[in-house]
Amino acid sequence: MKLINFINFYYRYKGNEEYALRKINLKIEDNKFILLCGETGSGKTSLIRCMNGLIPQFYAGFYKGKVEVDGKDTSEVPIADLSTKVGIVFQNPENQLIAMNVEHEIAFGLENLGKQHNEIKKKIREVVNITEIEHLLDKAPFELSGGEQQRVAIASILALEPKILILDEPTALLDPQMAEKIIIMLKKIQIEKKITIIISEHRLDLLLPLVNEIILIKNGEILEYGSKENVINGENFQKMNINRPVIYSIFKELKRNNLYTKALPSSIFEAINYLTKLD
Amino acid sequence: MSLEFLNAFKFMKKETLLHKLDPRVKLLFAIIYSICALLFTEIIPLLIIFLSLIPLVLIGRLLKQWIKSIYGLSFLMIFIIILNTLFLSLTFAIAMILRIIIMVSSFSLFFLTVDPNDLALSLISMKIPYEFAFSFSLAFRFVPTIAKEAQNIIDAQQSRGYEMQKRGFVNQIKNLFPLLIPLIICSIRRAFNVAEALESRAFGSKKERSYYFTIKYSLKDWIFTIYLLLFLISFITIRFFFNNMPEFFMWSLPV
Amino acid sequence: MLNKLPIISIKELSYTYPNSTEALRNVNMNIYESELIGIMGKNGAGKTTLIRTLNGLIQPTKGSIFINGEIIKNKSIATLSKEVGIIFQNPSHQLFANSVEEEIKFSLKSLNLNKEELNFRVDKILKDFNLEKYRKRSPLNLSGGESKKLALASIICRDPKILVFDEPTLGQDAKEINMFINLIKNERKKGKTIIIITHNVEFAFEYIPRIILMTEGQIIADGPTSKVLNNEILIEKTSLILPQTRQFVMKLKESGFPDLDNLISKNQIIDYLMKFIRKEKTFIKGI
Repeated sequence: MKLINFINFYYRYKGNEEYALRKINLKIEDNKFILLCGETGSGKTSLIRCMNGLIPQFYAGFYKGKVEVDGKDTSEVPIADLSTKVGIVFQNPENQLIAMNVEHEIAFGLENLGKQHNEIKKKIREVVNITEIEHLLDKAPFELSGGEQQRVAIASILALEPKILILDEPTALLDPQMAEKIIIMLKKIQIEKKITIIISEHRLDLLLPLVNEIILIKNGEILEYGSKENVINGENFQKMNINRPVIYSIFKELKRNNLYTKALPSSIFEAINYLTKLD
Repeated sequence: MSLEFLNAFKFMKKETLLHKLDPRVKLLFAIIYSICALLFTEIIPLLIIFLSLIPLVLIGRLLKQWIKSIYGLSFLMIFIIILNTLFLSLTFAIAMILRIIIMVSSFSLFFLTVDPNDLALSLISMKIPYEFAFSFSLAFRFVPTIAKEAQNIIDAQQSRGYEMQKRGFVNQIKNLFPLLIPLIICSIRRAFNVAEALESRAFGSKKERSYYFTIKYSLKDWIFTIYLLLFLISFITIRFFFNNMPEFFMWSLPV
Repeated sequence: MLNKLPIISIKELSYTYPNSTEALRNVNMNIYESELIGIMGKNGAGKTTLIRTLNGLIQPTKGSIFINGEIIKNKSIATLSKEVGIIFQNPSHQLFANSVEEEIKFSLKSLNLNKEELNFRVDKILKDFNLEKYRKRSPLNLSGGESKKLALASIICRDPKILVFDEPTLGQDAKEINMFINLIKNERKKGKTIIIITHNVEFAFEYIPRIILMTEGQIIADGPTSKVLNNEILIEKTSLILPQTRQFVMKLKESGFPDLDNLISKNQIIDYLMKFIRKEKTFIKGI
């Protein structure tokens, strides 16, 4: 089922001559864990903004084509309504936490939708469980560490029960162990709730082992969208200015020397398996 | 002096009776005390009002912050004493100081004990539109963030050789640009980010908004309200019948 | 044998914030000229506090710092920042002038150069950083990448002997990281000493020879990268993760691959695997 459907979509920000997004044709389905990958300035954030109507409603500009979320046109349906289908967690958690304590933060979205107290309470308990932040409920945003802030931001979006959760560089400000924990938590959520999660990231080594599909974006155009295996083994992935994991480079070199003919591994686990089954 | 003084207005979460009172009562308190202070230019009534603040400060366990706020005013107070003594009288000067202390303290107590969330709620209960009340609490929420950002900007600029102290009035103004412009730009960017995040959390949805947290007037709030009203009435009466008051009420320094 | 004196010498450095948080506890460290060192550790371990003591932004509560043999205790930030240039994470905390040219001139102002030298430096830095085409443009109109370059240029044009970077690879793609590495190489050739705070383990492992690990205000390791970052215990304590090469070698060991000692770098692993596969192939062919 198509959750998000870009139909020949073009967009340029007001005051810019260059198009930020061009000829976007993209169909995203449910129950997938997707990596959005591209160089700086390739249009990742702009693409994300299209998915809940921020483009073209919040960001004035010129556009052609259409974007549909769950069948609804993102230029017509209010962002508030689209937010019940698509949740976006932005880069800097500090600017997304607007309440004075965590409990209120999570309740906020539901308050906006006019939900009753009991329902809100139940939802809070649920999301706080999945994101493991029970102990933080009465803390203020500035009392939280970066990792905690990020988890609160994710919890407050999950409370709206979106069918698709999008995160724009969620681990940018986090140290490696915390980043790993958050990514693993997101994978768990994706599997348990059967939603689609799209993560825009530079830290490919953390994400490649876990994703199902990869979207490659360059200069505002979708370069490739497909299963992880297909994309990793393709030319585009090799040529882009992205931080490919060391495992990839090692096996690419082996392949270049004709010592390895199988698919390139996306994780150390896969790499070992491929090596031990050489024949 | 400058930034430390602001701490006297920063909310601190505590479990005291004063903190538990409804924010509307506390706003009433700040307003009534200020009105009463403005009624008088004589020392004794003002002193009585001032002393009645002390039990509240102690109940709220805010003695340290309160003293800090008074200390922060000390510069201003010395200035007032000198000016007023030169042109009017020492009595008047002291009376003015007491007035300022009372007004600043009562609002300081308000801000120290009211959770910005509750503040927004109390504004809404007074029929102020949600968007307005919300921007108010949002501003509060971001004060520490902006303060931290300001410090980062100062650090970044000093690391390029920027010097904070400059001579001459015009130079001092010009010298603020390297600090103000980044601060303003970052704040505007932040505003966009916050707005984006709000939109993405269904802010402005057509549905009727619900409120997870509520504030309710309880018995202790009514008791305190009655106390405040009696307080106000008493002092208005004293003002009207001042000339009938006992001698010591009109005491003033022989200067 | 004569020993070189360190360009930065930190002795028993401690710093406690006014709110009683102990940010630095008895830090001791020597850094030599032209070195490239990385400082790594959990967020809040004291890394940013430490670098702020180097240019006087923070005055330590105990201990002393020597730069070029001179104690820095009573020197002003303005003076110290001529020797120690810190490049912070966020360029928008700095950029404010009417044009890129003005921005550079602002950075050079406190150096009190004569007009000729000033213009020479401005021209040179704009050329070196490929910013000449933006000379008259407002710095607020630059893209993210260009702003970062400008922020960098505005410190490097002051020619400090010591460069300190706070998380330079954050949010950067491969091309940008490459440009940064080239910049570091060039500066080291000029004899500059470089300190990088980072939590990018792969980057540190590949490009930085010496790593200092911090946790809770203290230094818990100081040595060659291959030793420090491949140490599981240290990595665990500082909320980092092992470099992928190390993780891979450990998994190879678990699977029973032989002769794995001394397998550290990517190239060594490639050589090992190439030998392994060739052997396997000849073995299979031999049946």
